[in-house]
Amino acid sequence: MAPSQDPLYAGLGQAVRIATDLLAALIVGGGLGWVCDVYLFDSTPWGMIGGLVLGLVAGMRNAYRSVQRWTNP
Amino acid sequence: MEESPLHQFELENWVPISLGGLDISINKAVVFMWIVIAVAAVLMIMAGSSRKLVPGKLQSLAEMMVDFIRSMILDTMGKEGMRFFPLIATLFLFILFSNLIGLIPGSYTVTSQIIVTAVFSFVVYGISLVLGFMLHGAKFLGILVPPGTPGWLVPLMIPIEIISQVARPVSLAVRLFANMTAGHVMLAVLFSLTIGGGLLIGWLPFAFTVAIYGLEFGIAFIQAYIFSILTCVYLGDAFHLHGHDEHAH
Repeated sequence: MAPSQDPLYAGLGQAVRIATDLLAALIVGGGLGWVCDVYLFDSTPWGMIGGLVLGLVAGMRNAYRSVQRWTNP
Repeated sequence: MEESPLHQFELENWVPISLGGLDISINKAVVFMWIVIAVAAVLMIMAGSSRKLVPGKLQSLAEMMVDFIRSMILDTMGKEGMRFFPLIATLFLFILFSNLIGLIPGSYTVTSQIIVTAVFSFVVYGISLVLGFMLHGAKFLGILVPPGTPGWLVPLMIPIEIISQVARPVSLAVRLFANMTAGHVMLAVLFSLTIGGGLLIGWLPFAFTVAIYGLEFGIAFIQAYIFSILTCVYLGDAFHLHGHDEHAH
């Protein structure tokens, strides 16, 4: 397919990928932390804070992983 | 005239059906899903039926597409990934055609419903998990500890890796849904500005509408491509345990 091999569109696709990688991990981390807070340990707000931090790290890691794949496509 | 740019995504039941308390009514999205499947199937069957050595226009388009999907699988998963060709080709064609058909004014973009994309991505992720446990057994849990992790980091790495694994289907679903929804909202806003602006200034948002419509065509291809290549990557990770860090293809 031509459009996905076009450098502009390929770059656009990669940019979009990184942004959602970061966001999704943050949402999942915060969400899991919130679930721990409310349903498991009654530890509001520490679970959510910890979950958000871990989610940030996990998002960075996912983004780093997808960047690693570009170097030799 | 003054309607919300989100109005286009609202669904009303055309044929209300309820099965044991489950709402399986037929609405616009369901009908357009059928249309997408019909268009994709008819086009591909028509393209595949002639089987000429020197392909016609339709056949060469289909061959290009098959070749594209094939090289995508070979690049990310290697030869054993060809088992999943039907799954990945189906996903790619369905998403591509629903994105493209959604661009026809007055139609409906099936992929702008998060439930559709979420079902796809969680099914794909479930397949990759089942495959990983089938191939590697309990060793597959080692995916939570990347190779080369120092021992004292393991308790920290496991929650991080769990989150980053769970985030994969979420980001897959959100990416496709958000891109399609955002594009269509943008088009709706710009076009309502065109109508509100009249002849004096309306040409400016209209020019943007045309430009963004063109961009949306590109996005339709890119999102189908990204969804299917990430499917390949996730299934490939289940094949090659820890393969993702050492040998980037």
